[in-house]
Amino acid sequence: MKIFKVALGILAAIGGFVDIGDLVFNVAAGATFGYQLLWVVVIGVVGIIVYSEMCGRVAAVSGKAVFDAVRERVGFKAGLGALVSAQVVNLMTLAAEIGGLAICLQLLSGLPYPLLILIAGAGLLVVVWFVAFEWVERIFGYGGLCMLVFAVAAVKLHPAWGAVGHGFVPHMETQSPVLYAYFAVGLLGAAMTPYEVYFYSSGGVEERWGPKDLGLNKVNAMIGYGLGGFLSFALMIVGGALFLGQGIEPEFLGTIALGAEVPLGQIGLLLGLVGILFAVSGAAIDTLFSGAYNLAQFLGWEWGRYRHPRGAPKFTVTWLVLLVLALGVVMSGVDPVQLTEYAVIFSAVALPLTYIPIFLVANDRTYMREYTNGPIANAVGIVYLVVIMVIAVSAVPLMILTNVGQN
Amino acid sequence: MGGKRVILVRNRKPTDRVPGVVLAFLVLALAGCNGGTVDRHALKRDAENVASLASEGGLLADDVSRGRSTRYFVRVHAKELSSKASNLQDALAERPTSPGITSDVRKLSKLAGKVSRELERLHLHPTDRGVAVSLKQPLSDDADAADKLAK
Repeated sequence: MKIFKVALGILAAIGGFVDIGDLVFNVAAGATFGYQLLWVVVIGVVGIIVYSEMCGRVAAVSGKAVFDAVRERVGFKAGLGALVSAQVVNLMTLAAEIGGLAICLQLLSGLPYPLLILIAGAGLLVVVWFVAFEWVERIFGYGGLCMLVFAVAAVKLHPAWGAVGHGFVPHMETQSPVLYAYFAVGLLGAAMTPYEVYFYSSGGVEERWGPKDLGLNKVNAMIGYGLGGFLSFALMIVGGALFLGQGIEPEFLGTIALGAEVPLGQIGLLLGLVGILFAVSGAAIDTLFSGAYNLAQFLGWEWGRYRHPRGAPKFTVTWLVLLVLALGVVMSGVDPVQLTEYAVIFSAVALPLTYIPIFLVANDRTYMREYTNGPIANAVGIVYLVVIMVIAVSAVPLMILTNVGQN
Repeated sequence: MGGKRVILVRNRKPTDRVPGVVLAFLVLALAGCNGGTVDRHALKRDAENVASLASEGGLLADDVSRGRSTRYFVRVHAKELSSKASNLQDALAERPTSPGITSDVRKLSKLAGKVSRELERLHLHPTDRGVAVSLKQPLSDDADAADKLAK
């Protein structure tokens, strides 16, 4: 029974791994550089595994979620900076996910986009309010498994497998090294996006993980995110095999869906669109809650997705306000794909503010007792902190130099 | 400009990051605007864009001609591509150009307009295989023509 439960959790994690940032950056990277950047996805996936395991362990041992730890470890003022940047990035990501959801609905139904934004918002509200959270997680996780159609599409497109294999070895064959660096930063930012760890650690606290759940935490993080990364590979291979040779620059979600349609026809298109629909909806819900978790944890409010809204009223009002704000952003006419690029790059800037406190707490004996980081976790954690710092410092200059990946 | 921005962000305390982020966002939004003079680099970039739209339209038309797509997907996606091509047409027709490339810029504007009209036909006839077949070759030719202008 326990194995079955773990398997279900892993399936949900695979289906829920990909969000609009992964979709946009992986396919665009493939369409621009072929398979050359596959190794970056590996680095990003290992990074999110390492830090999710760490923050899951912190949650299990200390009962503290990320923003509890941020406030306690870095103090109110610096913590406030981390909170504000996390909330700005969260809101941008939420708006992008809702916009992506509306576009998907439009590609499936042909109805007007503004109407579908409202339907998407109302749908999310109804699901979050009325459906038990464990079912929300399963429904969107399993629905997101339709994204596996992109793995089938990748095989059907007959990529040069030697070149695909070579893509896992760091190398650069391009006359545009700055653009290459921009995509590398974007891929890392998309794979290690902070809301994933906010959500993961808060979930651990809510599900009352204890030291006995540390094994489950490790399995969830490693297999769930690891296999989820497989979808990222598939998306990049589709971009490289189909769009690169034809000179197509994927600027629309419809282009990504076309990546499943061309090799697999209508069934591929429909599965691809349904998969994207569930993936971005699930990510929208995760982001919505992450924003409310962060604020509630930072200010010491009652919080919890398993609680009845009346049991945690400020938490509930926070996610309602975030939903309304995000709907306002999307309704203003912002292009969700462009917004995604900005959200991913700014989340890359905010990465250290999330990951450094996690690392500090995971090494703090007063919180973690005998469960502090071991030498391997510390070594890998420090390497990733360096990577994260480099990404954070270079993200905005690269975005300016490449005109948001256009040059 | 980019270098200055890095230094500004680096020297700030975490609590000061909000204005920095907002400012960077505004700078980038302005940098992304489609205005100003069309120079050789911009011409190449826009020609690649037109070629991309035409190629993608060709893939879509091919799928429609073989009954491998759906009505709503074609209607919506063809409209997105058509609108983008139309925006490029307008921008290229109006913007001032660097000396010596005016004729190529206006040629590209006309080509973008043609691609937009072809994609508009696909948008209006999303299940008509005959229309889709008739659009495949012109879109492929447009992509080639845009590629030539990009070189």
